[in-house]
Amino acid sequence: MQNAFKKIAIAAGIASMAVASLTGCAAAEPINHEITVVTHDSAVFDETLLAKFTKETGIKVTQVKAGDAGAMTNKLVLTKDAPIGDLFYGIDNTFASVADENKIVDGQMTAIDFGDVCFNYDKTWFSTHEQAAPTSISDLTKPEFKGLTVVTNPATSSPGMAFLAATVSVFGNSGYQQYWRALAANDVKVAAGWEDAYFTDFSGSSGAGDYPIVLSYSSSPAFEVRDNGESQTESIMDGCFRQTEYAGVLANAKNPSDAAKFIEFLTSTEFQATLPDTMYVYPAVDSVALPEAWSTWAPAASAPVGGELDIAANRKTWLENWSAILGE
Amino acid sequence: MTKKLALWAAPLLFVAVLFYLPLGRILGLGLSSDWLQIFLQSETADAIWFTVWQAALSTIICLLLGIPGAYILYRRRFFGQRFIRALITIPLVLPTIIVAIAFSNFRDLPAIPVIIAAHVFVNYSITVRTIGGVWATMDNETEEAAELAGAGRFRTLISISLPQLKPAVVSAAALTFLFCSTSYGIILVIGGGLVHSVETEIALSAVQLLDLPKASALALFQTLLTVVAFTISENIVKTSIGIEQVDEGSPKPSIDRRDWAAVAFTVLPLLILIVSPLSLVLSKAFMFDGAFSIQNFVNLSTRGDRQLLNISVAQATLNTLRNVVISTSLAVGLGTLAAWLLSRPSKTRVQHFIQKGMDVLFLLPMGISSVVLGFGYLVSFGSGPIPLRESWLVIPLVQALMALPLVIRLVYPALLSIGNDHREAASTAGANASQTWWHIESRMIRNVILTAIGYALIVSIGEFGAASLLAYGDQATLPTVLFALISRPGQTNYGMAMAVSACLILLTLAMVFAVSLRKRPSLRQQVQKARRLFSSAR
Repeated sequence: MQNAFKKIAIAAGIASMAVASLTGCAAAEPINHEITVVTHDSAVFDETLLAKFTKETGIKVTQVKAGDAGAMTNKLVLTKDAPIGDLFYGIDNTFASVADENKIVDGQMTAIDFGDVCFNYDKTWFSTHEQAAPTSISDLTKPEFKGLTVVTNPATSSPGMAFLAATVSVFGNSGYQQYWRALAANDVKVAAGWEDAYFTDFSGSSGAGDYPIVLSYSSSPAFEVRDNGESQTESIMDGCFRQTEYAGVLANAKNPSDAAKFIEFLTSTEFQATLPDTMYVYPAVDSVALPEAWSTWAPAASAPVGGELDIAANRKTWLENWSAILGE
Repeated sequence: MTKKLALWAAPLLFVAVLFYLPLGRILGLGLSSDWLQIFLQSETADAIWFTVWQAALSTIICLLLGIPGAYILYRRRFFGQRFIRALITIPLVLPTIIVAIAFSNFRDLPAIPVIIAAHVFVNYSITVRTIGGVWATMDNETEEAAELAGAGRFRTLISISLPQLKPAVVSAAALTFLFCSTSYGIILVIGGGLVHSVETEIALSAVQLLDLPKASALALFQTLLTVVAFTISENIVKTSIGIEQVDEGSPKPSIDRRDWAAVAFTVLPLLILIVSPLSLVLSKAFMFDGAFSIQNFVNLSTRGDRQLLNISVAQATLNTLRNVVISTSLAVGLGTLAAWLLSRPSKTRVQHFIQKGMDVLFLLPMGISSVVLGFGYLVSFGSGPIPLRESWLVIPLVQALMALPLVIRLVYPALLSIGNDHREAASTAGANASQTWWHIESRMIRNVILTAIGYALIVSIGEFGAASLLAYGDQATLPTVLFALISRPGQTNYGMAMAVSACLILLTLAMVFAVSLRKRPSLRQQVQKARRLFSSAR
């Protein structure tokens, strides 16, 4: 008669067991030569190289993805007393000072790669419409480009923040709001994230949207090469913002010495050479050659802007001013 | 009584450890004297107002469309019915970026109407299935009698069916309201980050600005909103009529000409809000280089353009399935148990009060921002006794936590609506509580339990955002693979992302459809079987 009751009790007990078994895990000693690297969601490590690193050093690597660069930085700040890993990779120069102020890094940060946030335009669209393509970010406020541009929201996307910073750098503290007002009046479209802007709104990608000008990266045209061997898109090399991504050992890390060895690995020529293919960024080590499609279609920006700005200190003010202009 | 207390322990421990502990920790960190001031800021007030009205409006539209939908899909009979029931649940599993692509044909419209349409797209099935599951168990006779007496379908609905369905309607409304009020991705993506709700404000202040006091204050508001929504729904249900007879096994009448209005109100929203957006996604999955092709699916066997994925899609599917099995068993097991305990008649006022309290306790996880909860996990489960944040188990556990209130909201009203008669009859016949459950109650509400299993599956497949906010290792699942693909330029990656969406759609259809395909014995057979059992037991 009690059978059925037992069934319920057993079924219900699974939950408490699951929790209890986790508690059991805690007792295990951390095994030497294991490191956890905290990255943003887009970081990919080449598996063969990673296996080689483990074979040569005996260090086993676990990757933990912690959101975009901003989310990752803030999570690391939140957990700095008991960090979620031994090192991080992917805090960029827009968040570096947050990391510094909160003392989450043990020692120096090392530059691993960079990407240039630039506008791309759809060459096919401009040739079929027999119109000259824009050549500068100032062009985007002109009447002939009205309703043609899509940008991403700086409050919710890191290229968006990079471009907002670029406008502050180019037009100055007194002029950037004026520029954004002109962009808004020219019917600029704001998308929440890069994915929406690039794949849903932009006409030059596979999403085939309605806007021929998009805020993206200088490297993107390398991935839009069509059957005729030509890229359908090209970057506007004006007003580009350089996002440099860093790696560093986390303060209070369990295994700082092995973490430092992994940073050495990240700066090795072998690993640097995989960066364009796996992460769509430029290697920070100068001597590393770019793949062919990149040197043809996706050169880095020649004169990036915004390197002088203290972004962390101004982020909130800029965002508030931006929202007042573009917000609904 | 002690046995009952022991039974309470499992679900209570589950929500205490996985929800209240991390929530308490993060609210504690954000505790500040500025909370009142935060609520007085005009943008906070605007966000709160928008959150409440859009959720209310989305809920009303869902009910208006969902009631005829439930009638046609659960109260009538026609070929392909089960397939359509499964079809309408798909929007729930799709990641927001895919919902936005599905609605990209409406991109020129103002954002707010599109947000509401997308909320209806995602929540339609909750209304239909919550109401339909109970409606299917209702006796036909009263409705038939009303019709014989000359009442039209609409009058029968208003004066006979709806009053009996009230608990289910209120339950569906409360669920939809809570889902819409905590909606994050849809408002963010469709609104371009320019439309502000409580949830998007929380995400902005927590994730981008690390403004914990503001995030905590707003999370507290969400808690309050959940409690208010619950209290209102409880007060409406209090005056409702119980469903007298349950006749689940009886064949439903097939659709006839007099159902035209209900058919129209089901078919039109289905075509406009479900079929057309879904076909857009599917058609993109089969497009490569501007032509029809299965190339995107062929590419899925690789690891993406230039080794983008560090996991194969097959492995990601297996991870997804494993998580789904764990979280569904936990959510349905614990949720049904909690619903069963909640539905026991309370003898004293104190008992009644405790039961209501428990009810809210289990509902709250649904109304709270996943960003806040994710941060709570980070600060609670690091070192210490439960190093959960680095284990892959954290994902199915969080999914179970998110599905738990849904299971309870589905099963609890169903248990209430079957009334006490059967239980009393069984008890007179000598059955104890567990026999009554296994042989009578569980069979009577089998349909509803199947719906609950279906939803637990869906919550797990789709991940509902919470999982992506936690730190985890190489345990990629289908939604995370999709994200990895769509966050890179190039048509191969885009095409593969669309193919992964198609796989998600097919996987969901298959699983939800499979769950609905269980042969149900008729009520008469069940009663006879139960009688035999109890008389021999005596």
